Amino acid sequence: MSSVIQEVASTRRAAGERRKGDGRMAALFLAPWFAGLFLITAGPMAASLYLSFTDYDLLSSPTWVGLDNYVRMFEDPRLIQSLKVTFTYVFVSVPLQLAAALALALVLDKGMRGLAVYRSVYYLPSLLGGSVAIAILWRQIFGADGLVNQVLAFFGIEGTGWVSHPDYALNTLIILNVWTFGAPMVIFLAGLRQIPRMYYEAASIDGAGRLRQFWSITVPMLTPIVFFNLVLQLINAFQNFTQAFVVSGGNGGPADSTLLYTLYLYRKGFADLDMGYASAMAWFLLLIIGGMTLVNFLASKYWVHYDD
Amino acid sequence: MRTSINQRGRRGAAVAAGAAATALILSACGGDSGAGGGGDVEAQDCPCEIRFAWWGSDERHAATQEIIDAFEAENPDITVVPDFTDWDGYWNKLSTAVAAGDTPDVMTQEERYVSDYATRGVLADLGGLDIDTSKIDGSILAGGQIDGTQYALPTGINAYAMVANPAVFEEAGVDLPDDTTWTWEDYVEIADEVSKGAGDGVWGTQDYGFNEAGLNILARQKGESLWTPDGELGVSEETVAEFFQTSLDLMHGGGQPDATRTIEYQHAGPEGSLVGTNVGGMSSFWSNQLGALSEASGEDIQLLRYPGESEFERTGMYYKPAMFYSVSASTEYPDAAAKFVDFLLNSEEAAKINLTDRGLPANTDMRDVIADELTDADQQVAEFMADLSDEIVDASTVPPNGSAEMQDIMERVNTEVIFERMTPQEAAEMFVKEVGAAIAG
Repeated sequence: MSSVIQEVASTRRAAGERRKGDGRMAALFLAPWFAGLFLITAGPMAASLYLSFTDYDLLSSPTWVGLDNYVRMFEDPRLIQSLKVTFTYVFVSVPLQLAAALALALVLDKGMRGLAVYRSVYYLPSLLGGSVAIAILWRQIFGADGLVNQVLAFFGIEGTGWVSHPDYALNTLIILNVWTFGAPMVIFLAGLRQIPRMYYEAASIDGAGRLRQFWSITVPMLTPIVFFNLVLQLINAFQNFTQAFVVSGGNGGPADSTLLYTLYLYRKGFADLDMGYASAMAWFLLLIIGGMTLVNFLASKYWVHYDD
Repeated sequence: MRTSINQRGRRGAAVAAGAAATALILSACGGDSGAGGGGDVEAQDCPCEIRFAWWGSDERHAATQEIIDAFEAENPDITVVPDFTDWDGYWNKLSTAVAAGDTPDVMTQEERYVSDYATRGVLADLGGLDIDTSKIDGSILAGGQIDGTQYALPTGINAYAMVANPAVFEEAGVDLPDDTTWTWEDYVEIADEVSKGAGDGVWGTQDYGFNEAGLNILARQKGESLWTPDGELGVSEETVAEFFQTSLDLMHGGGQPDATRTIEYQHAGPEGSLVGTNVGGMSSFWSNQLGALSEASGEDIQLLRYPGESEFERTGMYYKPAMFYSVSASTEYPDAAAKFVDFLLNSEEAAKINLTDRGLPANTDMRDVIADELTDADQQVAEFMADLSDEIVDASTVPPNGSAEMQDIMERVNTEVIFERMTPQEAAEMFVKEVGAAIAG
């Protein structure tokens, strides 16, 4: 047994010596990435896992409280409210966003003139959507005397202060997220280009109409891309913060109607000085996102077609 | 651009992207578990460098830098490093700095936070340092004491008051109220009259329900107080319900805008408020905001006592320490820090630069020093504050740990009331329950 191990080891060593130069260079080039991973990501993650089991107010040293923070979460009505808000936000805005992205990708895929310009124009919101400036603009547009109400007034409809009304405020955030459809749109475009033209040619020879071609060729061929976008956008949407922070004035108002989970987490940690609880919330969010993604992958077996 | 990502690669990419994205949120909430506070650091001699942290507007930053320059000119062996942010960012930054063991040597504090910091050993006992406090009134000094220890020194004083826009009152054909005798009922009536008289798009008053200071005044008028000396909520459910009921009555009577507009005006600050934009007769503000209101509106905005001052068993108005100066318990240079705080409070130079930006100076000598330099609005504030001094019964109690959450609770509860998703009675119950939980946790 031991001789086998020695033998394997010595072969490995020989191989290692042969390629030592390469290994060192590789390690050197990987070092910045590893430094980033361990110092900026893994280290703080481990710290936050520890802190999630403590009572930590940032000002004095943390004290161990076991599972207290996790237990408290089940009795926290605001946490439940924030979950309601977040799930509504994610499950309404992501499908709408993907539908918008796909619809525009289909239009742009027609190969019109100036495609590059259109692609850039529609991609722009994806770059800007998460910014503070856009969120402030959003407040104006959906304000009581904002653009939306001016347009509505033209049609004789009396609007309200959309951002300031607890029944509508979340909708403005959902619209803002849908508006940032550019990133999935570009990916859809790439996916559409990958579908071999011959399928369409064969289908049209067989007499299939456009709609039939869309449902029988485009949609199944595109499912891996839809899946990829779905996973990515779900994860993104669960973690959106800036828009809700600015549009709600920083506290998820009015009346907690825009209290996204991340926003509540931030307030707990930095405004209420309850960093232990906030850390526990972060890990709970990881479980939620992990669970969602797992369900996504399991379900993908039934609707995603890989042609391999 | 015919990209060819193979299918498996794409599936792998989705997993990787997911993992990376979730890692980000977790690491955002980590943090070094550095020890906060602790006064066991050995004092060092100068030449030295101390850091001064404050919050505020651009004008305050410029003025404070001027004060620092003057201090450094007088004390060449001490360098003061400025560290400033806006109000919201300040507390996030300060708590994080303390957690990292990097507490600023001198910092500005506020009454809702000072207890949190003092009781956790972050702030030094200023009684043991060489700072002259003899020119500060005892009741104001008490605002910076927790369990008998002076952890913070008040920079100046403000009062929460009603402001009135005379131009709007004139337009509506309504006389300004006599603020020494007006009752809460008068307040509602006058606001309704102004709304009716001034026409569309102009209202009598702006909702006061987002700020607990107004509630504190009503509570004090009734012999209660927002906080008790032993750190409990001191206001009764009935008083809270009454407070919200008045706001609701105003909305129903037309004296106050509808709920969504109220929220928008609330977010617009003094400059965008009803009074500041000349579309409202009255609003509740801190006295030091009078200058900003006058400038924004272009009118000679008037300070009024809160309604009900002669209606109940006692008066409710009070002086609030505008903010405090505190010294870190872990500073290496306590003597230099003390010298700087002493300069901020007691030097004529600093007073003349600061004027009333950090409240009407707590040091009574300095009020005379700056008297000639004040604008009309600040002059009015100084006179208003002087008039109040005989009427104020006692100082308002220092808020306990966790009281910083009250602002947030107040805003949520009031929103529920004005959108009529809760009755004032239900709102009062929720308020008492949530504040109780905040100060217990």
